[in-house]
Amino acid sequence: MIWVSLLLIQTVADPAVLQRGEIIFAQSCATGYCHGAAGAAGKGPRLRGQSLDRNRVSEAIRDGIPKSAMPGWKDRLSEQDLSAVIAYVVSLEHADEAGLPEYPMPPGTGPAAYVDFPGPAEAKQGRDWFFDATRLLQCSTCHSVDGRGIAVGPELSGSTLEDQDRFLSLVRASRSQHVLTATLTDRSSFPALRFEQNEGWVKLYDLTSAPPVLRTFEASSIASLVDAKGWSHHSVTRDYEDKEIKGIVKYLAWLRSQE
Amino acid sequence: MGQDGSTGQDWPHYGGSYQFWRYSALDQINRSNIKRLTPVWAFQTGVEDGGLQATPIVVDGIMYLTSSWNRVFAIDAATGKEIWHYYYKNPRQIGIIYSPWNRGVAVSGGRVFMGTLDNYVVALDQKTGRELWKVNVEDLRQCGCNITGAPLVVRDKVIVGVTGGDSAHRGYLSAFDAETGRMVWRFYTIPAPGEKGHETWEGDSWKYGGGATWMTGSYDADLDLIYWGVGNPAADFYGGSRKGDNLYTDCVIALNPDSGELKWYFQQVPHDVWDWDAAYESVLLDLVVKGRKRKLLLNTNKGGYTFVVDRTDGSFVSAWPVAENINWITGVDEKGRLVGRKEPVVGKSTFICPSIGGGRQWNQGTYSPQTGWYYTTGIEWCQDVVAKEEEPVEGLNFFGGAFKMRPLPKGESHGHLDAYDPVTGKKYWSYRSKYPLLASLLGTAGDVILTGDVEGYFFALDAKTGDKLWSFQTGSGHRGSAISYSVDGRQYIATPSGWGSAVAGLFPQLWAESEDFRAGSTLFVFALPQEAE
Repeated sequence: MIWVSLLLIQTVADPAVLQRGEIIFAQSCATGYCHGAAGAAGKGPRLRGQSLDRNRVSEAIRDGIPKSAMPGWKDRLSEQDLSAVIAYVVSLEHADEAGLPEYPMPPGTGPAAYVDFPGPAEAKQGRDWFFDATRLLQCSTCHSVDGRGIAVGPELSGSTLEDQDRFLSLVRASRSQHVLTATLTDRSSFPALRFEQNEGWVKLYDLTSAPPVLRTFEASSIASLVDAKGWSHHSVTRDYEDKEIKGIVKYLAWLRSQE
Repeated sequence: MGQDGSTGQDWPHYGGSYQFWRYSALDQINRSNIKRLTPVWAFQTGVEDGGLQATPIVVDGIMYLTSSWNRVFAIDAATGKEIWHYYYKNPRQIGIIYSPWNRGVAVSGGRVFMGTLDNYVVALDQKTGRELWKVNVEDLRQCGCNITGAPLVVRDKVIVGVTGGDSAHRGYLSAFDAETGRMVWRFYTIPAPGEKGHETWEGDSWKYGGGATWMTGSYDADLDLIYWGVGNPAADFYGGSRKGDNLYTDCVIALNPDSGELKWYFQQVPHDVWDWDAAYESVLLDLVVKGRKRKLLLNTNKGGYTFVVDRTDGSFVSAWPVAENINWITGVDEKGRLVGRKEPVVGKSTFICPSIGGGRQWNQGTYSPQTGWYYTTGIEWCQDVVAKEEEPVEGLNFFGGAFKMRPLPKGESHGHLDAYDPVTGKKYWSYRSKYPLLASLLGTAGDVILTGDVEGYFFALDAKTGDKLWSFQTGSGHRGSAISYSVDGRQYIATPSGWGSAVAGLFPQLWAESEDFRAGSTLFVFALPQEAE
């Protein structure tokens, strides 16, 4: 019968992997209001003692579950840790209440190993500036790159990324080819970006203050929509130093090189 | 006579009135006739995940109700007929724990305002539900934060809080111009370098220190101040990398509504390491204390303590517990300082009461000027907590430890609803419930206190004695906030019914049967039967 038990062991994950999975789970999945200590239920569903399909568990953990609070972890955990936590969750099928660990947080080393930024250090520095949440107005308030940021302004790609000085002069420009001046029939006006127009309605981004506001107007309430003279991109990038803008170009150029 | 915080025909604000009494001056329905209360209409929102946690708003006979996933409905408040609906288009992936519920809208000046799961504020035309403006507060995918609380409108400012207190995020309150959506001010609940209070944070911990403003504030028109509760610091259970008091987390803050300028703050829990928050509602009361007329503010925190302060300057008046099983402190001294802290330990389990679910949940209490009492729920439950050193990753969960729900050392975990003297905390009566009560309380001039339980019963207690007068089974547990209003002289009482939410998810750790509790999302409306013509 020895070969039978060996075969069984083969289908069960390596204890070291399960142990790593338990730590990742405790720190990333059991925390707060999510799945509860060792999967004992929280805001997220109970995982202990449930019959769970390995493929579905893997898909849910890697990609998240649409229309739910479950995020995807494939960009946050290393491949090794992903496999470990998947193996651990599947192993909970055989767990019962008596097997609940005495402590909600298992002993183990360090926080979960999140995936590090894969690019060079100068690109990472540029990325940190682009998304710098300590500034009220950051590049990502109006531009989206790499799946983050709000896509109000134009996409940041193209040949300008190869020339730091040219990019800098565009960022500091006193005129913008995209921004218009909207004047309403009540004579108020604001710098605007056209977003959408249909059936008598016009949607414009109002750039008066940050963050931009997507406003909906009856077409008849807009007196004119013409090239802007009063708005400059420089006015929204003043908080960034030249060296930071140049660092940001390095990040954007690196992103482009990865496409 | 102080400010009157009762509502009449309408239920115009999230908390009923700006003073957040959740008390209606209507008395057609009262303790003598409430046993004749009858359902008159019901409204189903069609989405039940996350339960129904809203507080409806009623203005001029029209009700504005929200559900999970940011659905907004305008409903004829007398008949239940839908007038318009607006389904906000959320991205498929929200992926953060503060979802998918919404707790309500603000209605003012012909517009309806709502915060969204993907962290926008939208303004709708009150008559048609058409979108007027929409503004992103911060990128959900970066900040791991969003908006689930109802906005507060003061004059032309729409003031909106943010979640994210259990994530690596720095909290704030933002104010937007009601007409244009332009941001007018932002007050960060964690001071930046160079600002007063920054010295209460160690190193870079201020960048990811939590301080969410996830509920809705109050407003004093005479003092022209808004009051807002601020949540816990992050990481929740590990404070070793944020040594200091961590201002303005676990504070009630008083701000100028036009400028966002800080007038005063009172911190209930310096250097919180339990996820207690002070984010719940602030109730504004004008009462005589020791022979002196005082303008007071009452705020109950998740640690199970009610703090009463002077709302002109934030000076401490009193503190009293709403739960019996509290062991994280031994008490509060005469100056409002915590005594005998019992903190979670790294790598070692510590038994702490109440549980992270709180000595009270966020669901609000009510103040009755008729009895002069404050009514609130309390919860008896405990937990084991282990703290863990943790590095923040922007926008991701940042708890610094984990917990496991535990029964009481003696007796069964349970909930209760009690009548208190608002200043001394003297208890006049107590109603015991098998499970914690997780719905807000409604008080009325008919001397009744109404709320719902997690088993689906909506019920009324006598405000003077706590005796149960009436109950009605709605088919799913209660997590929202009942209101009262009148249309054409007829008084109505409306209650959301619909089991769900983060804390509901923790129930099975203590009550295995609750795993099978049925979800729902229905609004029930009741009135007295109309006499036959």
